[in-house]
Amino acid sequence: MMGAPLTILASFTLLGILLLMVRGFSAARGANLESDYPLFDYPADYPPCPCQFVARVFSNDDSRYVLAINSPALAKLFQRERKQVALAWVRQTSAAIQRTMREHKQVSRTSHDLDAGTEFKLLLLYSELILLCGVLFVAVGSVGPLGLRRLADYAETHSQRLATVHQTVKTAAGSRELPRAGAA
Amino acid sequence: MTVAGKLVPVQAAYDDLLQRSLAKLPGDLARLIYLASTRDYNTGTYHHDGLAARFRPDAAGKALGIAHRDIFYRLSAYSLEQLVEELELYLNSSHESPADVLQIWQKLEPYRVAIPLDVNPAMARLFLSNVRLALAIWRHRQKQALEPR
Repeated sequence: MMGAPLTILASFTLLGILLLMVRGFSAARGANLESDYPLFDYPADYPPCPCQFVARVFSNDDSRYVLAINSPALAKLFQRERKQVALAWVRQTSAAIQRTMREHKQVSRTSHDLDAGTEFKLLLLYSELILLCGVLFVAVGSVGPLGLRRLADYAETHSQRLATVHQTVKTAAGSRELPRAGAA
Repeated sequence: MTVAGKLVPVQAAYDDLLQRSLAKLPGDLARLIYLASTRDYNTGTYHHDGLAARFRPDAAGKALGIAHRDIFYRLSAYSLEQLVEELELYLNSSHESPADVLQIWQKLEPYRVAIPLDVNPAMARLFLSNVRLALAIWRHRQKQALEPR
């Protein structure tokens, strides 16, 4: 008797996760059109986002200060501005995650001795981060960045972890290829 | 020349810049505007005659670039309250009327050109947004101060 409702619930949950992943994946698109600062002119060149960014944009400190001024117009302006800044960060993070995975795919194609366990973990981490970007994009877009600091911190830390693991694999693959090139 | 030999003049020029030119300016916002004004609009390179005379022009340019980025990141991490105080300090130390400067800043947004070239775009966006908010808060306060009680 419980089989059908559970299947429907599981299907909706799965569909929701898939939709959020699509949203997270497509978050990086259209950034140039909406941004007032050229976000992706040189995507590979820009330096990483300092850790103070998430602390500043996703915390309540500035919000408390603006609310204490007691001006509805200023509070509205603050909400709008912070939402736009937070969305720009989600786009940038999603783009950086996708760039890392694209590079990793290229390395994987030419590498001869990949570790299946590491590759699977990377794929899981990538899927998790894309899902998280989707959740953040939808949540920031609907309620703003306040209260989402833990999620943003998680996305920031783990996207950096993804980049670090990729660099390690890339360096290891490069050092294994060198003796082969020398032998040839 | 060794790497250390190349870095020392830049470090020395940077220290000199902090102690002589930047220390005299009232606050980080004034320092950011000053450093941005030493950058050539067409080439993006930094020039400072005094610093270039004491050190090499390339060392002076690099030191100006590093100082520009450092101050930009420091200012971008300021709380909104701190930034409003910085803005107030900058406007009050200006030789022009603070109200006039405020109006021009809100209309032309000249602080956009104060962003260093190679900084994280999200951080640049946060800086622009925070300055816009700080200007609106300062204007609101000025209006409140003028209103009869």
